[in-house]
Amino acid sequence: MGVFSFNYLLRRLLVFFLTIWVAATLIFIIPRLAPGDPIGAMIARMSRQEGFVENADLIIEAWRKRFGLDDPLYVQYFRFIGNTLRLDLGYSLANFPAKVSELVGRALPWTIGLVGIATAIFFTVGNLCGALLAWRRTPRLLKIMIPISMTFTSVPPALFSLLLVYIFGFLLPIFPQVGAYGRGMVPEFTLEFFGSVLYHGFLPAMSIVLVTFGFWALGMRGMMVTIEGEDYMILAQAKGLKPFYVLYRYMIRNAILPQMTALAVSIGTLVNGSVLVEIMFTYNGMGSLIYSGIANQDFGLIQGTSFILIVTSALAVLIIDLTYPLIDPRISLEGR
Amino acid sequence: MAERKNPHPKSLPGGSVSTRSHKEGGTSTLPFPPRGGKGLGDGGADRVVLSVDKLRIHYATPQGDVIAVSDISFDLYEGETLGLVGESGCGKSTTAYGILQLVQPPGYIVNGSIEVDGTEVLNLTEEELRKFRWTGLSLIPQGAMNSLNPTMRVKDQIIDVIESHEGKQNDKEALRKRIFELFQNVGLPNRIYNMYPHELSGGMKQRVCIAMGVALHPTVVIADEATSALDVVVQRIVAQTLVKVKDEIGVSLIVIGHDMGLLAQIVDRIAVMYAGKMVEIAPVENVYANPLHPYTQLLIDSIPSIKERKPLKITEGITHDPRNPPSGCIFRLRCPFAWEHCAEVEPPPIYVEDKHEVACHLYAEQFEERRTDALATLANP
Amino acid sequence: MAEQSKDAAVAGGTKKAGLLNRFDNPWLNWKFLSGASIMGFIFFLIFLGNQFWDTELALAGSSPLNMPPLGFTNWRDQEGIPEHPLGTENSGRDMLALLIVGTPRTIGVGFIAATVGMGVGIFLGFLAGFVGGLVDDVIRLATDVTITIPSLLVLIVIQSVLPYIDLVTMALLISMFAWATPTRYIRAQVLSMRESGYVQMARLSGVPTRDIMYREIMPNLLPYLAASYIGNMTGAILSAVGLELLGFGPQRIPSLGVSIFFSIEAAALLRNMWWWWGIPTVILAIVFIALLLINLGLDEIANPRLRKAN
Ligand SMILES: Nc1ncnc2c1ncn2[C@@H]1O[C@H](COP(=O)(O)OP(=O)(O)OP(=O)(O)O)[C@@H](O)[C@H]1O
Ligand code: SF4
Ligand SMILES: [Mg+2]
Repeated sequence: MGVFSFNYLLRRLLVFFLTIWVAATLIFIIPRLAPGDPIGAMIARMSRQEGFVENADLIIEAWRKRFGLDDPLYVQYFRFIGNTLRLDLGYSLANFPAKVSELVGRALPWTIGLVGIATAIFFTVGNLCGALLAWRRTPRLLKIMIPISMTFTSVPPALFSLLLVYIFGFLLPIFPQVGAYGRGMVPEFTLEFFGSVLYHGFLPAMSIVLVTFGFWALGMRGMMVTIEGEDYMILAQAKGLKPFYVLYRYMIRNAILPQMTALAVSIGTLVNGSVLVEIMFTYNGMGSLIYSGIANQDFGLIQGTSFILIVTSALAVLIIDLTYPLIDPRISLEGR
Repeated sequence: MAERKNPHPKSLPGGSVSTRSHKEGGTSTLPFPPRGGKGLGDGGADRVVLSVDKLRIHYATPQGDVIAVSDISFDLYEGETLGLVGESGCGKSTTAYGILQLVQPPGYIVNGSIEVDGTEVLNLTEEELRKFRWTGLSLIPQGAMNSLNPTMRVKDQIIDVIESHEGKQNDKEALRKRIFELFQNVGLPNRIYNMYPHELSGGMKQRVCIAMGVALHPTVVIADEATSALDVVVQRIVAQTLVKVKDEIGVSLIVIGHDMGLLAQIVDRIAVMYAGKMVEIAPVENVYANPLHPYTQLLIDSIPSIKERKPLKITEGITHDPRNPPSGCIFRLRCPFAWEHCAEVEPPPIYVEDKHEVACHLYAEQFEERRTDALATLANP
Repeated sequence: MAEQSKDAAVAGGTKKAGLLNRFDNPWLNWKFLSGASIMGFIFFLIFLGNQFWDTELALAGSSPLNMPPLGFTNWRDQEGIPEHPLGTENSGRDMLALLIVGTPRTIGVGFIAATVGMGVGIFLGFLAGFVGGLVDDVIRLATDVTITIPSLLVLIVIQSVLPYIDLVTMALLISMFAWATPTRYIRAQVLSMRESGYVQMARLSGVPTRDIMYREIMPNLLPYLAASYIGNMTGAILSAVGLELLGFGPQRIPSLGVSIFFSIEAAALLRNMWWWWGIPTVILAIVFIALLLINLGLDEIANPRLRKAN
């Protein structure tokens, strides 16, 4: 549709790259703020925990090379940033010589799938419920049911997943408690595998959806109320348009715009929540990868996984921001 | 300060010819001659297309109901342009929205009857009302700036009103032609067809609203301060467009406005409102040449004039609480001629001549003497 | 229109003063009141607990292990005993004592983080809104970047290199991310108020900027600030619980989240020790719902349109 305004596009790209740069820099700085020789300390901690580390010499060598710990700090820094931007995230300490990027590459699609589908559901359902809450003609019953269904809004997804696992995985075991697909299955493009993925993904996705859609419903309701007071709504009424047409073409269509902006803002929180949900379900995504990193004191894995998740979040935000002008005609040309 | 002139002598009803015809007043410098030559009787059959009877609208507030419109009645004739004036907050918009059945909560219609072409609007079911809208009554809104849906192209906003009332239009080419014709009527270039509202100037948006308002050739069009957000020149051009389109299509028009000078150019009759009451309704020449109601006189007096400087009349606005209007005459708290009777009895509309009524005791036959006295003091303060 | 009618109301002088007039007193909002009562009730219980219950029982080894709550039996067919009405967990901590000690800790982390974040947010929000220009650009960029980053990930990276973390440090770390949302929000509010009539009037009549800020904008912003603060606190508690669920947090006397972490580690779910993870979870859920109610109530208090829509 419209041509992106240079300003708008530039700003969004700037935020995107700044985010990545900040994330990389944080990951460079944080271990160096910790007392002592970061690599040595890590190895020491691992050794203490596991008794001994296989390939310890090799690991230390590999990490020393990567960090170049004897070079001046700024050289280390630029080398690190260079490596990171090439997505060379080093080795996993616990799974040496597996590279972090390999592990991440395997986990990331699951996280994107889970969060993506959950987001699609709560955004759609939430906005629809909000719109119905604000609409004058919504049946009474719905206006009572929707708020009731929103009871769990704002309960942290991870805690809610505990409740869901307990009820639907333990008390009435109708859904699996762990994993992203059936045990012993090999990922392949078959209907059976796909079904298993949906079956396993249901509770994790619901843990996110059920506590989140209420926020969107509330936000949407607020926007709808604001829009009902707009002059163009009075004109729409005066024009004698069909009520349903007014609902979606005048009200929802305009109220959804700030909701899109809000979605971009909430990506960070969403990822926070899904990381924890994955851990609760031992879902084979990034969250579980981080958790195993924490459990094994695998610092390289924690860093690499976090970095890639941050990049992914920034990318998601960028995509939302760049689609926004397609739905708001005022943005593309005004360049705000 | 130094050259303060005496107030202009007020014309007396039934007295000599007014010294203040609008040709002499500030309006003569305007780009086009005043209307009114058409003559009220000219049309021959004066068919009533809109009849408002005892319309009363309240706004519910925690401290009691605000009486925004208080039992007003008037008729609108076929092809007529009626101006509705009065100071801010007197209930003009509320009247318009009442007629259109668009009063927004906490407002509600208490009683009244609104007949358009013999149809009682208040008795329509919801679906009947929806179908009646825009074909019977259409609106050119007060804030054209924000009255267009920001996420819809101009054409789609006109098409949706056509398709809502005439069904899906399969002949897209004919539809396009029809919209271009509307554009042409209101002086819009065809290139805005595919544009979004924010890409148009204020004047253009206003014209889009006019084009939209007449798209279905409604019986009555109500323009609520359709021009007040525009700069003076554009205001006049848009007002002219409005009248031109109205004449071409042959609808009846109610124009709400503050600008008495502008209204003088475009309306046939003027209805003057004060605090929810209609105090005078009269053919436009009478109002300017010979205003009867003391409030109308005040209004006419406050029209700025370019040729002569006169002291600025401070009009302090409605002074009473709109929840507790004074007894008797609504204007008595500000009326220079008020006497006891005004506090006791509410003045009924008094027939002065054809299409001219005034609600003031001074014009009742039994108070003729008082009228002469009162107006004499006004002439020689 | 609304302004006119407000003027008219004042001019009329017929305004019925009365706390119980629900139109007049927006603070009598059921969401706000019920949320606040729930929080108040929780604090009251904590207070009672501190008075009448032995909080030493929150330490490991102070009680028998794995006892079920009163009236239930565990998988070893032990009955709950009145000494530990809510049961105990697998290292011999009394659940009731844990709740009494752990709940205020979790809420406290949120409180500290939200307060610091809010303070910074107010400062930066006003700065950006009032100074504008380059300052505004920089603050906006920083805000956008901070909001984009999932804070939990950075906090995990930080905590994974730190040997031990106390609650206050944890709160301060969380507040590193808790300033961005309030900044963004306050900036937007300040900008919209700046454009509003009465502030413009004040500017035209030469009132100094600082006075405009304190006298005109601040008071009108208060309900918004309050709502934002509660929202911020919810976010901070969420972060704290998130970290605790990963095992970062005080271990000796666990907070609610850490307690849940222990239960997961010990497979409490499979052993059907629902009281171990379930009670803290439900308490946290109630806290979050109460905070949400307060937040929604404050929103309605701040925004008359929302109020009317009910
Ligand atoms: N929502 C509302 N609540 C309470 N009173 C209202 C409301 N809307 C309008 N009013 C009151 O109704 C009266 C009439 O308002 P209305 O908008 O019809 O005036 P108006 O003549 O169109 O004024 P203007 O020339 O300023 O447009 C005013 O006294 C106003 O205060
Ligand atoms: S009725 Fe009395 S108070 Fe009212 S306008 Fe006439 S003279 Fe004035
Ligand atoms: Mg008006």
